[in-house]
Amino acid sequence: MSVLREMIGNLLSRPVTILYPWTKVPIPETFRGRIANTDEICIGCSKCAQVCPATVIAMIDGPRDVEFRGKKIARKKRPQVDLYKCIRCGLCERHCPTGSIHLEHIHAGTGTDRDVKVS
Amino acid sequence: MTDPVLTVLYIFVFPGFFFLFAYALFLSYLDRKIAARMQHRVGPPVYQPLADLIKMLGKEVINPHGVDVRVFDAIPVVALAAVMTAYLYVPVIGASPLAFQGDLVVVLYLMALPTIGLFLLGWLSRNIFSAIGGIRAVTQLFIYEVPFFLALLTPAIMAGSWSISEIVLWQQQNLWLVFLQPIGFIVALIGLQAKLERTPFDIPEAETEIVAGPWTELTGRRLALMHLTSEISLVVGSSLIAALFLGGPLLPWTLSPPWMNAAVGFCLFLAKTLAVLFVLSSITVATGRFRIDQLNDIGWKYIASAALVQVGIVLVIDYLWVTL
Amino acid sequence: MAEVVVPIGPHHPALKEPVNFRVIADGEKIVRLELDLSYNHRGIEKAAEQRNFIRVLPLLERVCGICSHSHATVFAKGIEEIMGLEIPPRARYIRTIIAELERMHSHLLWLGVAAHEIGFNTLFMWTWRDREAVQDTLEEMSGNRVHYGMNEIGGVRRDLTPTQIEAALSRLPNLEERIKKYVEMVNSEETLLIRFRGVGRMSKEEALKYGAVGPTARASGVDYDVRRDDPYLAYAEVPWNVITDDHGDVYGRTRVRIGELWESTQIVRNCLENIPAGPIRIDAPKNAPKGEILSRYEAPRGELAHYIRTNGTDRVERVDIRSPTLANWTSVAMCLVNQNLADIPVIVAAIDPCLSCTCRMVVVNQKGSTKGTDATNVGIASDPGGWRNRGRP
Repeated sequence: MSVLREMIGNLLSRPVTILYPWTKVPIPETFRGRIANTDEICIGCSKCAQVCPATVIAMIDGPRDVEFRGKKIARKKRPQVDLYKCIRCGLCERHCPTGSIHLEHIHAGTGTDRDVKVS
Repeated sequence: MTDPVLTVLYIFVFPGFFFLFAYALFLSYLDRKIAARMQHRVGPPVYQPLADLIKMLGKEVINPHGVDVRVFDAIPVVALAAVMTAYLYVPVIGASPLAFQGDLVVVLYLMALPTIGLFLLGWLSRNIFSAIGGIRAVTQLFIYEVPFFLALLTPAIMAGSWSISEIVLWQQQNLWLVFLQPIGFIVALIGLQAKLERTPFDIPEAETEIVAGPWTELTGRRLALMHLTSEISLVVGSSLIAALFLGGPLLPWTLSPPWMNAAVGFCLFLAKTLAVLFVLSSITVATGRFRIDQLNDIGWKYIASAALVQVGIVLVIDYLWVTL
Repeated sequence: MAEVVVPIGPHHPALKEPVNFRVIADGEKIVRLELDLSYNHRGIEKAAEQRNFIRVLPLLERVCGICSHSHATVFAKGIEEIMGLEIPPRARYIRTIIAELERMHSHLLWLGVAAHEIGFNTLFMWTWRDREAVQDTLEEMSGNRVHYGMNEIGGVRRDLTPTQIEAALSRLPNLEERIKKYVEMVNSEETLLIRFRGVGRMSKEEALKYGAVGPTARASGVDYDVRRDDPYLAYAEVPWNVITDDHGDVYGRTRVRIGELWESTQIVRNCLENIPAGPIRIDAPKNAPKGEILSRYEAPRGELAHYIRTNGTDRVERVDIRSPTLANWTSVAMCLVNQNLADIPVIVAAIDPCLSCTCRMVVVNQKGSTKGTDATNVGIASDPGGWRNRGRP
């Protein structure tokens, strides 16, 4: 009998499911989404490539002069991530000394190109 | 309506096959929408059953190795033809122009044909799941058919006629049979739910146990036609119950212009079939599936005896009425 | 009908993951069952030997989606004990909160799946709607709805902010009310009772003999819960009860799981309100000293055990995962004999099977074991949990 009461109650109220993508659910700030790297503060230490469990970060050439903790560094390399192979565990973000590589709180998205690299 | 052109229009356009297809798809949509809303979901849009039908008609037909292709092609078509023919004798806007004494029996017989077709499909599919499903389908047919027939016979006994249209006319002059035979009404609803193979009686098509039972090897247009058959069975079944117990498309008085009578009758038909559908959908949502041996238990112990009790009561009332 | 072989699996709508049951049925009664696991073997134990302690935790998390935090926590706990680390109390409380939230989401999922297996799709939709509250909480706290990534060797990765704690506490009253409704529904809803009662009955002796663990064993009266008998994290500090039941059938397991749902909400509330302040991790050394440990944990499905052997480097030498579902499969094979064909999905779903957890390397030693009556073609060991019969490399 309680089932019947709840059924009629549900019938007369708004449904809990939404018609995505015309309506979207707000994503919390702490969501681990698409990976991104801020090139201006990355010092090319390769820590992210070392801790990545899925080994999707490759260090490519990226010479640049950056400043880290008051010292000037002539950076040689920067990370390049295979976007769709990234498992978004967040270890790179946790171990990055400058906070340049991070996971944004948007979805990683979909696409038709299998080989998308973010650097 | 003895004019042959009008009869042909009645059969094919309105309220014939064209209206039947549209109404079947609409009732299928409503059934899914009501079930979804009761489960607190949004549910499909109104064009979903039509989209499903068109999609399935366009899919590839796969013939398993060694099955009889002609039988496989024929069964969905025969099943669809049977239920479409059964619809012609159901009163929609007044008495059916094709009514005759005994059309109640013909309708019941035609509605049982799809189940026999499912059994044949299951048996011929060379597939253990389909065979088990086919056996379950006929076992269920034996269990619910007796009380269902008995429950639909009692209106015929009380009205003294074997024609659905005359039973409807009898109700127009007296009382709706749902008030005179409430037990019969409930047994008929349960029997209809079992005939349409909906939860809690969707044992032949138990998705989590035997994949899809006899429906497993149906693909493409065969599946589309079989699916359409079950949707049309829903229309025929609910309009049968609306006609036999709820008074059909007739008011207790006749209105003066005959087209007004037909229009009001049509609206009544819609309202009553929608009410029956609402009850059927609620039963589907509120229960889980039985096991076939439990259905055997419940069917013979409670449902069949309730039907017998109802027949007994009707016979006693009839005897008293005749002698007094 | 004569005896036929009904192949349930590897592809079947009743199963969420591939497993091969070859059911030999006589009409609708099951005569014999032949069980073949191992469709989900992915070589995780071997892959774990090649990753250092930082990189191995996400791998072990992905052994299973529903009990991911269990695998990561039991491994981290084991390594911390080998290294002799004592993690700060706030980290223990955060691990407990995530563990109990995971238990809640797993049991709500199970309730929905069990209802779906008997065709009661309404309860399926309702329980999964309520599960969304737990998933939203987990997403706010950890960043993802599954694979939370909260654990590190030495503590927890993220802290809980006061807004997160408040949001989590505000979702709990609604969940508690829904759980009470489900208790009422399970005890009074006719179709549930008629499909669950008397199905797959297992007595206490049989549960102990065949090595059942978790809610499957607790429903037969076996009073064993790793959280109480081998306490870890914060379970010794918050009040909670072990739920057992006497029925031993699927109905009993349902009651145990719903009872555990209620207890979990109380543990989460307690931990959230009394969480101690402090650091959330300590620095762990890079290498682990040589040692062996058997680390145990009460996953939502039962007792999860990791056997870890380290040899002084920054990786493990061997990690052997004995998941609870692996221990429960023989009880399924035993329960299914002489039941109805229609009860197979119900009994299989009643142990809450997780094939991804199950498929590891198993070496069964048939010497000295008693073979059951044609029930399975796996030798059934005579010690619970089957530890004596596990091959060690």
